[in-house]
Amino acid sequence: MIEFIDIHKRFGSNVVLDGVSITVDTGQVLYIIGASGAGKSVLVKHLIGLLRPDSGRIILDGEDITWLDEEGFYPIRRKCAMVFQNSTLFDSMTLLENVMLPLRKHHKMGRKEAAKAARAKLELVNMDRDADQYPAAIGDGLRKRVAIARALTLDPQFVIFDEPTTGLDPMAAATVDDLIRSLRSDAGVTCVVVSHDLRSIFTVADRIAMIYKGKIRLDGTPEQFRNSDDGVIHQFVNGLPEGPMSV
Amino acid sequence: MNASTTNFFEAIGAPVVDIARAWGSMFGCGLRTLRAIAMARIAWREVIHQSYLIGNRSVPFITVTLGFLGMISVYQVAMQIKQIIPDFTMLGPAFIQIMIREFAPTITGLMIATRVGSGIAAEIGSMTVTEQVDALRMCNADPIVYLIVPRAIACMVMVLMLSIYAVLVSTISGMLMANGAFDINMRTFLSLQLTNGDDIVIGAVKALAYGFSIPIIAGNAGLTTSGGSEGVGWATTRAVVSTSFAVVVLDFLISAAGYIFT
Repeated sequence: MIEFIDIHKRFGSNVVLDGVSITVDTGQVLYIIGASGAGKSVLVKHLIGLLRPDSGRIILDGEDITWLDEEGFYPIRRKCAMVFQNSTLFDSMTLLENVMLPLRKHHKMGRKEAAKAARAKLELVNMDRDADQYPAAIGDGLRKRVAIARALTLDPQFVIFDEPTTGLDPMAAATVDDLIRSLRSDAGVTCVVVSHDLRSIFTVADRIAMIYKGKIRLDGTPEQFRNSDDGVIHQFVNGLPEGPMSV
Repeated sequence: MNASTTNFFEAIGAPVVDIARAWGSMFGCGLRTLRAIAMARIAWREVIHQSYLIGNRSVPFITVTLGFLGMISVYQVAMQIKQIIPDFTMLGPAFIQIMIREFAPTITGLMIATRVGSGIAAEIGSMTVTEQVDALRMCNADPIVYLIVPRAIACMVMVLMLSIYAVLVSTISGMLMANGAFDINMRTFLSLQLTNGDDIVIGAVKALAYGFSIPIIAGNAGLTTSGGSEGVGWATTRAVVSTSFAVVVLDFLISAAGYIFT
């Protein structure tokens, strides 16, 4: 279980999170939604120690991880993986080497053993035939698939997806949605997904939390979002240009 | 305290806090790099790759710059000497001493600060804004160990090597100028009678100090980049200014220490 308790975060004078509290139950798929710059990615990066809150607490499976140091976060990052918005594959490494890296670093695996395990993960996203290519040689959608394979190499209990379907064609986006669903149903993985993609949100999410002006506007089921009378929620879930949210 | 007083203190305090943070971040980066080197956490393959990029790729640049510097320096000094006493016996020995002790490492350091410092800041800055540095941290790969340590070791070794090469290039070009323009015998010019071990040690210490500080300052500028491509641009500018400034300040401090302790 993941608990964000009263998280405050500002960058200079810009208050991004102003007392955000969310709980994610084990095996659940939570979508965090909100306008661009609302602080969705900022919030999830606190869970793996890439950002530290100004105040508030983060509890992961009952352990307070708020003020762990960089080395203290190593075991957290073994069980909690992240798929970044820009895929973030390392250009100097082949796709296979990219997927091998967490195994080599976290588990101190030998090259052959890591390569075998990495190939299996690439197979999972249908990228094993391109294993020896460099990231520059493949398209955005394929890079995203490899980034997902890299995140899954350590068989994490929690996976954070930061806009996993942004920039993908509808078929590739649907594949990512299927993968998130199967992670939950087949492996019981808890997924936190930052997204703007309304189709994905309403077909995959168990729960949705919307961040607006640094606070949680609504935390509920997809049904509750669809039926909400709140003007902000209504504007967002219907993708309307006019409304209380400035576009 | 009223609002205008608060604003006044904020206006003074904010830049002070920013400068203190920047220095703290830079020294922290330097200390973590030294600790990683002491613990032998070194990616040697990357050190070799960076040595090629920093060292080999800088050879033409250093050859041209130091070659012309040698010729200009000898010509200017010889013209001054000619107006006072036309005896050029000590021109070569003094030129070689000042090149070893001062100009070869410092000019090389400044050249590397601009060429390599900007490259390091731009590369690491781009990795930071595209979250590749965060991805490294997620893979349990310390960005200091992976990005800064190999560059620091490569740059230290290569600035030292390039400084030695710079002494040779500037001395040969200076000697040719002295012989061609002032008819100074090449053997007379190539005398080491004013150069001693202290000059060589001071020159080497400068080269190593510049070589260590350039990737630390530039790398830290890259790691603290924010704000997309504009941020990368600013980080690059900051790196060039800061590394050049660091070379000049280190030159002053090491030279002063050299005169005091030798």
